Amino acid sequence: MSLLRNMASGLRSLFRKERVNKELDEELNGFLEMAAEEKMKEGMSRKEALRTVRLERGNLEGTKEVVRSAGWESFVEGLWQDLRYGVRTLRKNPAFTAIIILTLALGIGANTAIFSVVYTVLLKALPYPQADRLVMVYENVHLPNYQNKHNTPSPGNFSDWMAQNTVFESMAAYTNRSFNVTGTGEPLRVEGERVSGEFFGSLQVNATLGRVFTAEEDRPSTSHVVVISDSLWRSRFASDLRVLGQKVFLDDQGYEVIGVMPPRFHFPDPDDQLWVPLALTPDELINRGSHYLDVFARLKLGVTLAQAQTEMNLIARRLTQLYPQSNTGQTVDVVPLQEDIAGPVRPALLVLVGAVTLVLVIVCANVANLLLARASVRYREIAVRLALGAGHARVARQLLTESVLLALLGCAVGVPLARWSLGALKFLAASNLPRTEEFGLSAPVLLFSMAISLTAGLVFGVSPALHAVRGNIQDTLKSSSRERAASSRLRTSSLLVVLETALGFVVVIGAGLLVRSFLRIEQVQLGFQPGGVLSFRVIPRGERYSQGAQRVVFYQQAIERLQALPGVQSAAAVTFIPLTLAKGRKGFTIEGRAPTGPGQIPIASYDIVTPTYFQTMQVPLLEGRDFSWSDSPQTQPVVIVNEAMAKRYWAGEDPLGKRFHQAGPDDKFPWMTIIGVVSDVREFSLTVAPEPTMYFPIAQFTYADAILRDWVVRTNGDPARVASSVRSVIRQVDKNLPVTRIRTMEEVRSLSLASQRMNLLLFGLFAALALALATIGIYGVLAYNVAQRTREIGIRLALGADGNAVLRLVLRQGMRLAGLGVLLGFIGALALTRLMSGMIYGVSSTDPATFFGVATLLGFIAAAACYIPARRAMRVDAIVALRYE
Amino acid sequence: MGDKSGDLVQGTLDMLILKTLALEPMHGYGIAVRLEQMSKGVFRLNAGSLFVAFQRLQRDGLIKSEWKATENSRRAKYYALTEQGRKRLNSETREWGRQVAAIARILEAS
Repeated sequence: MSLLRNMASGLRSLFRKERVNKELDEELNGFLEMAAEEKMKEGMSRKEALRTVRLERGNLEGTKEVVRSAGWESFVEGLWQDLRYGVRTLRKNPAFTAIIILTLALGIGANTAIFSVVYTVLLKALPYPQADRLVMVYENVHLPNYQNKHNTPSPGNFSDWMAQNTVFESMAAYTNRSFNVTGTGEPLRVEGERVSGEFFGSLQVNATLGRVFTAEEDRPSTSHVVVISDSLWRSRFASDLRVLGQKVFLDDQGYEVIGVMPPRFHFPDPDDQLWVPLALTPDELINRGSHYLDVFARLKLGVTLAQAQTEMNLIARRLTQLYPQSNTGQTVDVVPLQEDIAGPVRPALLVLVGAVTLVLVIVCANVANLLLARASVRYREIAVRLALGAGHARVARQLLTESVLLALLGCAVGVPLARWSLGALKFLAASNLPRTEEFGLSAPVLLFSMAISLTAGLVFGVSPALHAVRGNIQDTLKSSSRERAASSRLRTSSLLVVLETALGFVVVIGAGLLVRSFLRIEQVQLGFQPGGVLSFRVIPRGERYSQGAQRVVFYQQAIERLQALPGVQSAAAVTFIPLTLAKGRKGFTIEGRAPTGPGQIPIASYDIVTPTYFQTMQVPLLEGRDFSWSDSPQTQPVVIVNEAMAKRYWAGEDPLGKRFHQAGPDDKFPWMTIIGVVSDVREFSLTVAPEPTMYFPIAQFTYADAILRDWVVRTNGDPARVASSVRSVIRQVDKNLPVTRIRTMEEVRSLSLASQRMNLLLFGLFAALALALATIGIYGVLAYNVAQRTREIGIRLALGADGNAVLRLVLRQGMRLAGLGVLLGFIGALALTRLMSGMIYGVSSTDPATFFGVATLLGFIAAAACYIPARRAMRVDAIVALRYE
Repeated sequence: MGDKSGDLVQGTLDMLILKTLALEPMHGYGIAVRLEQMSKGVFRLNAGSLFVAFQRLQRDGLIKSEWKATENSRRAKYYALTEQGRKRLNSETREWGRQVAAIARILEAS
């Protein structure tokens, strides 16, 4: 109430100033008149009475000022004055103003863009109701031959966890699956998920049209249902409301559409277009050997993460006792969903935030320097204002208002810049950051931007403001003390330059380390030759491919036709091509070795391949022979291993002819004979060292889950040119199989470096900015210094110093600043680059070559920045200089 | 100079103005004169402190003002207590009494 009244009264004073002033005048006048009348009654003359009253009660004008400035509105009024004055001053110096605003816009824009990414990925709640209660539940495996904190659970574990826990409201599983959609129109492959009954319930998201699955539908059955995404509904069904009840053919099976999800809903993957029931069979529900489900759950209200973790560990211990063969070395890890999504990219993002903050500090230092330079030009103006009675605080406020105004203008230019950069970032980060579709300039981001601008304005405004009002008025108006003030300003400027150089050094070191690391990765031996190879994806699924033998026929036919294409040297298919972060593992038992205890079984990665895969990828065959189409279910089972596997398990022996079989000693699998050894291939990614890997021939590996997805074709010329003929070959063999992900292996390789490239590019930009600003800073200080010392230099020259001596003098001074900056930066970088160790590969975070290289680079740049003012000093004309002032 | 309001305990000027207005509405000069008379000349206030206090009290809703003619048929702004102001005066008077008594006890004890 009283606040409102206060506001209303203040606003009245602001907007009806005339009237309020008149009233105050009249009231005060009346007051004085009445007091004077009293005195006159005592016998004073009117003049004398008025004088006495003024002495006793204070003079009229002063009182008015006191009363007027007592309310908050006078502060606002002053601010408004300052702003108008500020705008006028800035407009008088358009070039100066433009440079400052542009510098600030770069700093603020870069910070806003990076914060927007950080906000979306690390801070913003996931787009599901009460998403903070959603957690991922993983097997935490710690075995002698295999460690994985976040192993995907087996169906057996999933069903036991679900039945035994009391901490979760609901728990659900899903597993990624792509489908060939046929029927109307072109065959299409879409990404989807097989999901368990509580999937949508746990997310607390319902269909916008129709419904989601019932628990009944999550059971093996002959009638199939599917829930589709909004975008599939729009693209494939033209947003038809009668879509419900329609049949779509997924891998040749009819599915009834029962629901359409809300626009922008996606889980777990943004690419997902449809969801079908997981419908595990009773046999599968007790399978503890294959670990392929992703499991998530919703915590009960009031249950903490720690409580859930404790109970799940108890359950895991129980399961280990019950099933030692499969569950030894297994506990559970419960991870908040947000953490699961953001965790892997957090360190890199935080380092980027650090770098971009340093850039902002450098920007502030530079702008502070520019303002200091201008403050000395405005010295007389400020001195006159102080002399005329302006308070120090009032003048300082005026200068701060100007700084904040500049910062806000920088923000106004910086935000569109950030918006534009975000578009670029979205593109850059699409394959390596989560939630890119949510990037944007939301309210919190804009608030952040405003906040950093205001802070920046205060930070870079403070030292010019302090300088401006220091010292007393008399001194300020005298010129000798102006020089003294100038030297104090030079000290501040020099300090700022040292700071800039030091921070710039740290950022450039970061960029340098990333460059070195990138070059290292470029040189990594892939183990295959990507040049000339085209890859694509065709997954034979459906009625005609339900038997392994049928699939083998398809592979053989398609490969024969591909190899017949002009320009094609060879073709092959494989479970997953290298560098795509996909990897299957299997346990195995070696013939003649002592049986292994629970959890002691050796484990290796595996791929299933067609013959000529190694030839097509040019993976050197070190020993033995390649698979051939004559290796069939009727002939001796064979296997090829990589060098790492041969060295690890048959060290000092000839691995050729040795035999092992899949899974544990008691599992009845046929013995496979090693017929060849190939060299190691970077399978998972460029930065993960090759692991022991076994390769199985598709013709002998006809289990239900043995499906080859990726195809590779080696060509004579540009691989992209065979793309269309590859498509038509596949259409000839089966017109219902869509061909997707057509990329050259060079593109695959390049794509696998997306996150490194993004980090490098951003850091490179920041470093360039930091370097440019530091250079300008050094140049500015020296140029000012030379101008200030013109007289001194003139005297030196007049007394016989030669030009070179003067050049050296100025250079030495500049290099001292740069050297001090580099030294401090060196120490700072040693302490800080440790945080980058997760972002770099094959380079130490204190890599001496980078550190000394960058120091040298900065030295050269600083020398160049010093050279121009030094030349100017050298050319000072002694006579002119002595007349200076 | 005549200003002795600096000797006033912080915040007591507001209370004294409220007390002055408790009897009847008054204009600024009247309040000043009344305060001087009642304090037997101890508090002689300058116009600045007085009018800043009026503005503050008015914004807090403790007093209200109105232009009226004086007995000498001059136009002046008359201030009057609001209901809220009366309550505040009562509570502050009680609180003041309590504090004075407490301070007196402390001073006598030594």
